Amino acid sequence: MYYRLIRNDILKSKLITLTTTLFVAVAAMLVSLSAILMVNLSGAIDSLMNQAKTPHFMQMHSGDIDTVRLTNFAEQNSKVDEYQVLEFLNLDNSQIILGDRSLANNVQDNGFSIQSEKFDYLLDLDGNIINVSDGELYVPINYMKDATTKVGDKAILDGKEFTVAGFLRDSQMNSMLSSSKRFLVSANDYAAIKSHGSVEYLIEFRLKDLSALGEFETTYASAGLEANGPTITFPLFKTINAFSDGIMIAVILLISVLVVAISFMCIRFTLLAKIEDDYREIGVMKAIGLRLSDIKKIYLAKYAAIAAVGSILGYVLSLMFKNMLLENIRLYMGESENSSFATSLGIIGILLVYLAIIAFVSGVLRRFRKISAAEAIRFGISQEKSTGAKHVCLNKNKLLNTNLFFGIKDVLARKRLYATMLVVLVISAFISIVPQNLYNTISSTSFIKYMGIGNYDIRLDIQQTDQISKKAEEVLEYMNSDSSISKYTVLTTKTFKTKMEDGSEENIKIELGDHSIFPIEYTEGRVPAVENEIALSALNANELNKKVGDTITVIIKGKENKLTVSGIYSDITNGGKTAKAVFTDHSENIMWSVICAKLSDKTLVDEKISNYADRFTFAKISNIDEFVKQTFGSTIKSVEKASFAAIAIALVITILVTLLFMKMLVAKDRYSIAIMKALGFTKLDITVQYGSRAVFVSIIGIIVGAILANTLGEVLAGAVISSFGASSFSFSINPLSAYVLCPLLMICSVLITTIIGTSSAGKIKISENIKE
Amino acid sequence: MKNLIIGEHIVKSFGEGDEKHNVLDGVSVDINEGEFVAIMGPSGSGKSTLMFALSGMDSIDGGRVTFDGNDISSVGEAELSDLRRTKMGFVFQQPTMLKNLNILDNIILPSIRDNRKNVAKISEKARGLMKRVGIAELEMRDITQVSGGQLQRAGICRALLNSPKIIFGDEPTGALNSKSAQEIMDIFSEINAGGTAIMLVTHDAKVAARTERIMFMLDGKIVSELKLPKFDGTDIDGRVEKVTEKMWEIGI
Repeated sequence: MYYRLIRNDILKSKLITLTTTLFVAVAAMLVSLSAILMVNLSGAIDSLMNQAKTPHFMQMHSGDIDTVRLTNFAEQNSKVDEYQVLEFLNLDNSQIILGDRSLANNVQDNGFSIQSEKFDYLLDLDGNIINVSDGELYVPINYMKDATTKVGDKAILDGKEFTVAGFLRDSQMNSMLSSSKRFLVSANDYAAIKSHGSVEYLIEFRLKDLSALGEFETTYASAGLEANGPTITFPLFKTINAFSDGIMIAVILLISVLVVAISFMCIRFTLLAKIEDDYREIGVMKAIGLRLSDIKKIYLAKYAAIAAVGSILGYVLSLMFKNMLLENIRLYMGESENSSFATSLGIIGILLVYLAIIAFVSGVLRRFRKISAAEAIRFGISQEKSTGAKHVCLNKNKLLNTNLFFGIKDVLARKRLYATMLVVLVISAFISIVPQNLYNTISSTSFIKYMGIGNYDIRLDIQQTDQISKKAEEVLEYMNSDSSISKYTVLTTKTFKTKMEDGSEENIKIELGDHSIFPIEYTEGRVPAVENEIALSALNANELNKKVGDTITVIIKGKENKLTVSGIYSDITNGGKTAKAVFTDHSENIMWSVICAKLSDKTLVDEKISNYADRFTFAKISNIDEFVKQTFGSTIKSVEKASFAAIAIALVITILVTLLFMKMLVAKDRYSIAIMKALGFTKLDITVQYGSRAVFVSIIGIIVGAILANTLGEVLAGAVISSFGASSFSFSINPLSAYVLCPLLMICSVLITTIIGTSSAGKIKISENIKE
Repeated sequence: MKNLIIGEHIVKSFGEGDEKHNVLDGVSVDINEGEFVAIMGPSGSGKSTLMFALSGMDSIDGGRVTFDGNDISSVGEAELSDLRRTKMGFVFQQPTMLKNLNILDNIILPSIRDNRKNVAKISEKARGLMKRVGIAELEMRDITQVSGGQLQRAGICRALLNSPKIIFGDEPTGALNSKSAQEIMDIFSEINAGGTAIMLVTHDAKVAARTERIMFMLDGKIVSELKLPKFDGTDIDGRVEKVTEKMWEIGI
């Protein structure tokens, strides 16, 4: 019996059944995809890090190194399983030519290594440890992705010729978020080019037990060993590797939640309309003694069928699409070891969607309880009072055209009915506005301030060289006489020891100089202004558990100094753990200096850069726009693409749901429409009435959506951004596109869809609907 | 007297192929200005269909309908709407009111479509009509808050508001008790005395007896006609008897 009921019902409402099934399928597909991707991503990262034997603790160091002392430390520490020091040879980017392209404009620190012997291996695309021969060069995978070079190309390093033999996966430096990239050459070739670059050391440890990592970090820091460079630990490598695909998965998951919500809305609406249609039948069934659960089953059966078909379809689609989305993960990290588990988790995902739909339908059907059998049989329609809008009377309206008024009045009188369409429009407005605001924000010039970078044009990095302070002086002197530079400052980073509350000591990198010249955004507090003040990056403040106004003990020239935290800021540079202060310190343990400069005429940027690059060969000079473009370029581009896709998706959802809604509304209102027509209202009048309902609802929907986008959306986007290391965040909005073009596009599509969706109103025969 | 409606050889059929049958089978009918007529016949004889055809609410498959000098079988949908709104009034068996509007708004709805600026004047006129039919105090009520008789009176007010040339009533008293029905018929008589033509479709001999011409329909054709003098409030029983005799004679 159920089969017949379902079949007849579906045949009667093909469009609606199809649309609902489609939404369920898309929702199931997205949920299943995010489950599959999530498992594959974590699996792939695990297998990459297993195969490569990623270090648990790595200290980068430039300058002199005492390997004997380090070896002793490693041998005496019971937690250490294996230990090694690798060399990373920094060559100037202009000395690297791949195929016919020079890396001169590249902002990555490109360096060369030989294959390590114990762990931290560089792998080929099949996950095997690469054995490199003389004359061969293995290139980081990202240069394959962006098509800089291909296998077989000639490469020239500092005048020496190589052949690109393949690409490599680096479990440490694969991600674009990591600013260094390792190339692999043979030991002989390495020896040949070594004298042309500066060597940085990677001091690496594998521990017997990873859980002892925190303790080991403290021991290393307090042992006073080599630490002139960033420290990176195993969990951070993992996070960096997971980052970009992780964001994609988060976005898919978010969209799937929204699509599930939209499917719920479709189901709720069609179900309510169906209950109203069948009001008398339901009353009769109740009257003849069918139990509530029996009646419910009849309605539930159809949605169980739709949900089942939709879920299965969604699962099949997710299996078809997964390879496309897994491409990036496979390229960067290789195959996952638990892909069979992924597909079963996908099934669990769609089961959840299925159960959620059944639970939701059951919930909606609870209103059967309210139906009185007697009332249903006598009146045949629900006697529920129209809610509100009583004071909105036609006889008091002088302002609006009668049809417009009538449309608005109908929306106000049947709020519950239009709530469905409203919710969908709010979601649509939300998904079209949030991504474009996010895009606008991260592509605006002021955004770098959130990232811990001031608003300057050129930056000169002086590092991995001796006599940094003298070289910086030299540059400053020259800049002083350069009239095209409007302002500049030098910021010098040194490592200090800070005393923790438990008495232990940790290293802290402090950037010294005048921070008021190129100010950045402070989440809390302000820039450090006097000698005993310090500003902390959000990550550092978090780790040290400090707030604005707290004090922190820093050892300067052997003496303990109490510095007050004046402000907290977001930072993405140098692993996000930085600090800023203005005190003077003449010690020569400089890690690096950065000279920032703003030009009086920004168009001179390229010319100035080549000019300074020629004059100061020891410095790495970069155009800040180029720096941002290369660091965030791919992220900004994908957000831009996502924002266009979101607008398209929002429009498709809007059009589909409006079409569905209007078709149902006309079917539901056919009696009223017949009365209107009998009373002399034309087809056009009716269309205007429905159009005004739709436009009225969409205006409210867009306003609510825009408000939500700027509150909830900002918080959500902020959460995404904070994973970059930025903590405070507010949208910068392009009002023309966000508040004029997008809403206009939505309203127009709603209006056109309404005209199409209500065209059947013109065909409603008065005689068939009013005849006694 | 001048013809208001002329229907010539009207054909209207339902169904397709073998199922097809003519509900109106070449009906010709005239209604004069200010005339009060009734159409009687058993269920399925085509009474209501004839009314829908004459008022332009339903298209016809053959023949011609002229209303007030215009051939309405060939004009467009929009002109038909205009004609219905300005020159015709309708009263149905079930009160055809919109759920979302109160009584007064329902009454003024068709009139203010073209005349929004005069909404106050139209509302005043509506209140006058409501007073005349005895529902003055109901204007702000929802349609679910009043009785069937009261709704029917409101429906008559709506039909009258544009001062139409004719009011069509499809079983206007069919859902009412006899007292309410009599009161409604009194109102119709009063309206007709003011010069508005009325055409009623009815089963009820008592209702038909109030009119001056009764057409009897059977199987899509007008089979007979009965003329009575204008009703002056007297001898209703005698008139009803004449109608019933005629019905016996035809066999309905």
